[in-house]
Amino acid sequence: MSFFKVSNACNGCLACVQNCPANALKYVDEGNRRTLLHNMALCARCGNCWRICPQGAIEFQSLLGGAWDEVATMDLMRCTVCGEPLYTSDFQETLAERVDYNIEPLCALHRQNLSFMTWKRLAPGKGEAEGAQR
Amino acid sequence: MIVGKLKPMQEIVDSISEFHKVLILGCGTCVTVCLTGGDKEAHVLSSDLANGGYFKENPPTFTVDTIERQCEWDLVKTYLHIPPDTDAVLSLACGAGVQTVADVLKTLPVIPALNTTFLGALDEPGIWREKCHGCGECVLAYTGGICPVSRCAKRLFNGPCGGSTGGKCEINQELDCAWHLIIERLKALGRLDDYDKIHPAKDWSVGRAGGPRSMERIAPIEMNV
Repeated sequence: MSFFKVSNACNGCLACVQNCPANALKYVDEGNRRTLLHNMALCARCGNCWRICPQGAIEFQSLLGGAWDEVATMDLMRCTVCGEPLYTSDFQETLAERVDYNIEPLCALHRQNLSFMTWKRLAPGKGEAEGAQR
Repeated sequence: MIVGKLKPMQEIVDSISEFHKVLILGCGTCVTVCLTGGDKEAHVLSSDLANGGYFKENPPTFTVDTIERQCEWDLVKTYLHIPPDTDAVLSLACGAGVQTVADVLKTLPVIPALNTTFLGALDEPGIWREKCHGCGECVLAYTGGICPVSRCAKRLFNGPCGGSTGGKCEINQELDCAWHLIIERLKALGRLDDYDKIHPAKDWSVGRAGGPRSMERIAPIEMNV
């Protein structure tokens, strides 16, 4: 997605490319076709392109407002009592491998409310071992 | 970057108590990065002012907006939209931003919510320290990249003074002596000869002492693509 938008008023004069202090704009001519390119990672959003454009074609508000890019999606594990998001399902699998049993997803509040007996049921081997040490 | 600090809440309250509808205006650049004047801080300030019980009677109502830079006249003129009936703007920008917005709005009072504090660098997460005074005549090439103007309490050009002990400044034992740092850095660079050179008195007229400064940048542009 490009946040650098120009209107149809752009006549390809390259004033924006020449005056971009961050080298965030360039162009490619292929045959009779000129393409303007923008690199968001280099762009300082200084607005020089918008100031300099003789056609007033730079829609700078797009660069100021931007838009949201989807970066990652993941499955969530929620507290089985209240539904509060706790961690991802991948995290739960990793945790289960490490501790050798499946932990019921519970938030801090509802974990506190569990009785010792319930803890023993959830983590039989571990609970007994810890209890014996105490 | 420019570092600013939020003013004491009572001072902010006193400065806006006579108004009815106040736009709290964040700035999207330096003060966003130093966590004092960005969009998030503007919303927090709005919430604090509205709900903190600071006003004896008729508290103002607040709206919040943030623009990318308050210090550029044409950007403010084009993209700052003042909500109807706003009778004051509480700006979270540095002094340059406050003045630019005031200059654009002309008849609307623009009130600073920050004290613009210094030109600094992020030394550690959450810790900014003063590194530059904008003195107009940079000497970092001869001082191992450590500024004696901004980091020496006495702004000495041929230091250290007699108050430096154990690498700390006499005004505050928490404060590094800039000249101690300079000597250590010059040693590490193998450039202690630079330390032996006597620096003449600085021309302070190129700094703030010469009055307000300005810069024009008009240069031929070369194609770099």
